[in-house]
Amino acid sequence: MGHAYSHNIELNNLSLQDTTETDSIPPIDTLPAMKPLYELDLPKFNNLRSLKTTSLNTANSLQQYIKGELPGVYVSESSGEPGTNIQMFVRGISKPILSNRDIYNSQPLVVLDGVPLIGEHPFAFDIQNYDVERIGTENNLLANFDIDNIESIRVLKDLSTLATYGPLASNGVIEITSRKAPTDGDKRITVNSYIGMSQKPTVTTINGAYENAFRRQFYDLYTTNGKFNIDDVYPIYLSDSLNNDYYGPSNWSDSYYQNGLNHGVNANIAGGQPRATFQFSLGNVKTSGVADDTKFDKYNARFFLNLRPFKWLNFETLFNASRINRDRNRNLRNRFAMMGYLPDLGAPLAPNKDVYDTYLKEFDKSFDDNFNNILEGFFRFQFNAGPVKFRTKFAVDYNEGYRDLFYPSTILENSNFASNYYGYNQRIMVDNQLVYDIKNGANYFYFEAGNSLMWDTYKYNYSYAYKGVNDFIKLNLLESDPNNGNYLNPIPFPRQLVYKFLDRTKHNMVNFYGKASYTYNESYTAALTLRYDASSNAQPTSRWFFSPVLALGWNAKNDFLKDNDAVSLFNIRANVGRIGHYNLYDNYSQGPSYTAQVGYTGNAIVPGYNGIAVLVRPYDVGWIGYKLPWSYSDNANLGFDLGFEERNIQVSFDAYVRDTKDQLIMLPGKKDFGYEYQYEAGMDVRNMGIDLSASGNVVQNDKITWNTGLVLGVNTNKLLALPNGLDEVEVNDRLLKVGERIDAFWLYENNGMYKTDQEVPEVNGQKLTYNGIILKAGDPIWRDSNADNQITKEDKVIQGNILPKLSGSWNNMVTYKNFDLNLNFYFNLGRKIVNQEMANRFNFIENENASSINSIKEITYWEKRGDYDKYPLYNPWSSVTPFQTNQNLFLEDGSFLKLRTATIGYNFKDIIGNKLGKNGDFYVYLSANNLFTVSKYSGRDPELVNYLGYDQGYSLPIPRTFALGFKLKL
Amino acid sequence: MKRLLIILIVLSQVFVSCKKMLDVNSTRLVSEENMWISMEDSRGALMGVYGLTKSALNDNNAHWIYGDVRSGQFSVPIRQDLKAVAKHDLNASFGVMNDLKSWRRWYAVINSANIFLERIHEVKEKDERYTNNNMVVDIAQARFLRAFAYFYMVRIWGDVPLIVSSKEGSFTDQPREDQSKVLAFVEQELIKAAQDLPFLYSSNDEQQQGNYYNESSSRWTGSLARKTTAYAILAHVAAWQSNYPDAAAYAKFVIDNAQKGGLGILSTGNMTDPNGFFYDKNNNQLLGFAHVYNHVEGSFTGHIEELTLAAPVVNKSIPDMYIPKEKILEIFNEPTDERFSADTLGNPVTEVYFRNFNGQYPIFSKVKCIMGGVTDPSFRFYSSATIITRLEDMYLLRAEALAVIGEQNGAIDLLNTIRERRGLNNYSAARNGELIEAIFQERNRELMGEGHRWYDLVRQYKIINDNSDLSKLIRDNGQYWPISTEVLTQNKLLTQNEYWK
Repeated sequence: MGHAYSHNIELNNLSLQDTTETDSIPPIDTLPAMKPLYELDLPKFNNLRSLKTTSLNTANSLQQYIKGELPGVYVSESSGEPGTNIQMFVRGISKPILSNRDIYNSQPLVVLDGVPLIGEHPFAFDIQNYDVERIGTENNLLANFDIDNIESIRVLKDLSTLATYGPLASNGVIEITSRKAPTDGDKRITVNSYIGMSQKPTVTTINGAYENAFRRQFYDLYTTNGKFNIDDVYPIYLSDSLNNDYYGPSNWSDSYYQNGLNHGVNANIAGGQPRATFQFSLGNVKTSGVADDTKFDKYNARFFLNLRPFKWLNFETLFNASRINRDRNRNLRNRFAMMGYLPDLGAPLAPNKDVYDTYLKEFDKSFDDNFNNILEGFFRFQFNAGPVKFRTKFAVDYNEGYRDLFYPSTILENSNFASNYYGYNQRIMVDNQLVYDIKNGANYFYFEAGNSLMWDTYKYNYSYAYKGVNDFIKLNLLESDPNNGNYLNPIPFPRQLVYKFLDRTKHNMVNFYGKASYTYNESYTAALTLRYDASSNAQPTSRWFFSPVLALGWNAKNDFLKDNDAVSLFNIRANVGRIGHYNLYDNYSQGPSYTAQVGYTGNAIVPGYNGIAVLVRPYDVGWIGYKLPWSYSDNANLGFDLGFEERNIQVSFDAYVRDTKDQLIMLPGKKDFGYEYQYEAGMDVRNMGIDLSASGNVVQNDKITWNTGLVLGVNTNKLLALPNGLDEVEVNDRLLKVGERIDAFWLYENNGMYKTDQEVPEVNGQKLTYNGIILKAGDPIWRDSNADNQITKEDKVIQGNILPKLSGSWNNMVTYKNFDLNLNFYFNLGRKIVNQEMANRFNFIENENASSINSIKEITYWEKRGDYDKYPLYNPWSSVTPFQTNQNLFLEDGSFLKLRTATIGYNFKDIIGNKLGKNGDFYVYLSANNLFTVSKYSGRDPELVNYLGYDQGYSLPIPRTFALGFKLKL
Repeated sequence: MKRLLIILIVLSQVFVSCKKMLDVNSTRLVSEENMWISMEDSRGALMGVYGLTKSALNDNNAHWIYGDVRSGQFSVPIRQDLKAVAKHDLNASFGVMNDLKSWRRWYAVINSANIFLERIHEVKEKDERYTNNNMVVDIAQARFLRAFAYFYMVRIWGDVPLIVSSKEGSFTDQPREDQSKVLAFVEQELIKAAQDLPFLYSSNDEQQQGNYYNESSSRWTGSLARKTTAYAILAHVAAWQSNYPDAAAYAKFVIDNAQKGGLGILSTGNMTDPNGFFYDKNNNQLLGFAHVYNHVEGSFTGHIEELTLAAPVVNKSIPDMYIPKEKILEIFNEPTDERFSADTLGNPVTEVYFRNFNGQYPIFSKVKCIMGGVTDPSFRFYSSATIITRLEDMYLLRAEALAVIGEQNGAIDLLNTIRERRGLNNYSAARNGELIEAIFQERNRELMGEGHRWYDLVRQYKIINDNSDLSKLIRDNGQYWPISTEVLTQNKLLTQNEYWK
């Protein structure tokens, strides 16, 4: 291993006066000494954005803290609902994201103080009818730490740093490291707190009259008597203009949107001597959403102990426990999707506040207890025997989620609903490392051998029931007393309407690795890592996977610039290597198998026939054959770090190519053999890109410093190969074509509207058709890109991309005396959005009262969003579905720039002097987040886009927040 | 040396435990090596073929969209997909139409039956409890279900690939086979199956002795294919090919052996009772796929009720489809019909077939099994079975066959048996028009909402063969459905039906 290069948000003492306790006294944690010398030069890049500055944001989760801050990490915050899951992608995606399940497969590993965290498993989607959200808490489990306890967050992207984690790290690693305790015999107490608010957004509401006028345009154009045909029905709620519920004042937003209160408090006590240190902290963060009465509340307790009873023994232990509660949104779509039941959608929620309040009052009789308990911890022993060190670690990460839910009958056509969810994810790990290093003059050798064993278990119990006897018994679906004869039978709900699920899946891994590195004269380094990994989710015939990594480094500063004072830093580094990707699902390991699954659309879970369990091939999931190899990435990374004393300029640049090969992909199945899908190995995807961070002082004098910094991640992907030599394949309405991006849209191209039937082109007496239907006046002019005189999906064109080509942030900090001012801009450039919400609005003929999960009207249906004038008035009754989503009519530029955070702070150090002790410190700040967005996008916030690049309009807005806080140190 | 040995032993232990650690037996599925061992496996696999058939029929309510909606008899207020189907605008891609154009679920039935037929001998070899008789009956059912799937597909798509082995792993593409060859295979398979199938299960039938899979007869009533079932489908296969002599003969077998098969003609009350014929499983379901409420098999979708019921029967403002008042009066044009008749003032005499007759949307409520057969409108959860055929269908099919081949008297007798049971007077040409028309009208009234109407119309207009739109459509092979593009792209040997190109 050459050089543990990484970009990091580091705690530092730039201007926010945080002392790094490790500076003066050698740490008792000797681990840094176990690293190759070359690593000691780890540059503190982008240190403008210190964790301290980051912590001024009223955020609550890892993803929010690092958004835009780490070059190469793209965070997609697709909902502003506090505490929900947020996706992260390190250096792009290596496989297409076609469903919610694929997101789980693409997330980086998060390591908290050496414990690789386990997340949720997507297998629960198997029992769900709709891919809206997973059952369970859906809480953001990466809210499990308190930012004030953290010393650094860094991303590991290139193989020389990832290799020690093995296949777990194939999507990158985010390492979170806690603060070290002091060893100088002092006690340190820190208290950090803030209080703030989320600001209610201003929206334009509309009512039935508006919607009616909108629809009338189409009736006026395409009908003579207000009916397109004899069976045509105009929705009742729009028919009666005297109906005050729909035609009256549209003031629902007063009840839906509100200002929210946020606060956070964290106290930490730490102390120690060179032979023993401890740390204990407690924290609580409360975040309120601005819509739908959503709230998020987390508690965190952390205990850390480090003992060095003998010179040769070092013992460390950590416990980090969190509890997170979330009050979830009241979206109808989420509720119906979870219940699997679509009630009559003929009458949407009325825009009138009084009517809406009546509904909310009934809703308030429901019960939704949604929380997670998270615990991670480890014991680590290190034995030192001269140049040989042996380290062994036992680590556990456990998280459990509960959701007890009840909806009263008054909000669902007189039928109530209850569900209980309990699930846990558990990772147990034993990790051993043996290290030997020796320095001989200019030569430095370093050897490390490691082995780890890992046991992962994912489990959930879920039951739900409809139509309980009354609305008062809200819990305990099943008899829980094992001594009762009725044990596990339903009590207040009819037995025939109770559904019970138990599911569990395991994944074990065994890893071995060895690495050797040689450094000459603290300038030239070469390192080789060899790994041998096995996963229980790999097929028995290819269970083990071998992967090498070679890294080279040159520290030019140490080499020939030693005496050059102008250059503070100059490194060049390169590495190439391979890393294996493990499978998330255990069914891949089995090859062809049998399941108890004969469900159908809208009734996905049918495990039997005539009350007897069935065993059939997994026709809905897809065919899985034998001889599936390990998938792997071949990476190459080249980078340099350059620093100048002058103006404290630091630049770090990395260019990479990552070819991910032999990946399993869900292909369309052989329909003639009953399979919806089939899984084949052989998809190769290339990711290329550049990560850049640069910072320097624009103004620098005795009084004032203005430091500016830029973080950039450029990424592009390309499909290199598909299984079986295929050139292109269509999956879930996306076209994957070799040579094109894997996150591209595939859309018809609009060129206006046919005004008359005569305008429709005719070739040899045959009018242009759309899927066999002759186009007429009022239909869209779709480009016949293959010129065969018919519009079919062959005419759809690959265009645009979901992930931004460039994302990052621009940060500024100005310090004047004891004041500091921070401005943080976040941007995404080169991405597109399909505005599905507008497509659905215009496609009202098909959507009105359709029993479809995507035609559910939330209360926010009565909010004016988007630009109605952008779209032509096609004939919405036409069989060609003129307002279908997959056309570039709804494709828009999704680039944006946001002023994400602005803070101003004052340090009272000079005023209070030594009154708070020699380490005393008192800092007060004011922060504002999400202040403005610059974007051409005509919809709402361009961040509120799902994994398909669609803005469906269902997610809650990301609020603007303000906070006043202090950081006190004693 | 000794030390080396110890190290080797320790090392080998490490690797042994590694291997153990890495062989995780999934609790979520049954691997190939644990399948086809015991009679629980054969039972699960056979029930799987039934379950897949049921899901092919019920997916997006396909059975009724193919059979009832396409006939155009129902009016569709809102759903664009149903509107398109009702006016033969099948190239449209609204809502569920793409799923309806795919035969994937039917080939899952065929694939699972093929696997069953190829692998069942392994169970016989490994499990002593699995008797030869049990295997023969199982094989006959698998054959029956595979043949039924082919017949169902031929009626919808015409020519389809004839795949009779599982070809797992290779999945060799096959072109569409001429439908007459497919139907010849179907007939041959059904005859073979019919020979081995019992009249009833766990009822000491000669051909199925003892308790089938150790379950008593109540478990199996109406849920498995019986000898009479095979003959009933044979009758339909023959009629579909206009082979009316054979159709008459096969239907006769069913009628003659009705008692042995536990079959009888339903009373109107039983037929329309929420707790009656359509509820649960019973032997009168000659071929039916039950959603047994007490087995927690009820569901929101996969029932005719989802399409037809609305207020006041259930909480739903507008039905997906309904029959307008005038049309009801045209179809039920005779007094004393227990299913529906109107008095001289135009008011309904009974409400068993239609509720809310004088409202904007008369609700077709012949089938209305809500939850456990209750009338509570608040929860649209249904438990009715999907019925493919019943004894009345056989009476009327044989009547149709006899009428075509000129045995008028026999046909009238059969027709009158049904008419009498529904409170109607005997057939008279003066009142009821031509015999063949009267038979088809009776089929419409009796089997309405059971997925028959469209196929009846096709047979009827094949016989009439005039200048009507429907006769033309049939001559142009427009009676078939287009094949979905996702099916066409996965097998390049397939071609789209000419009419829909």
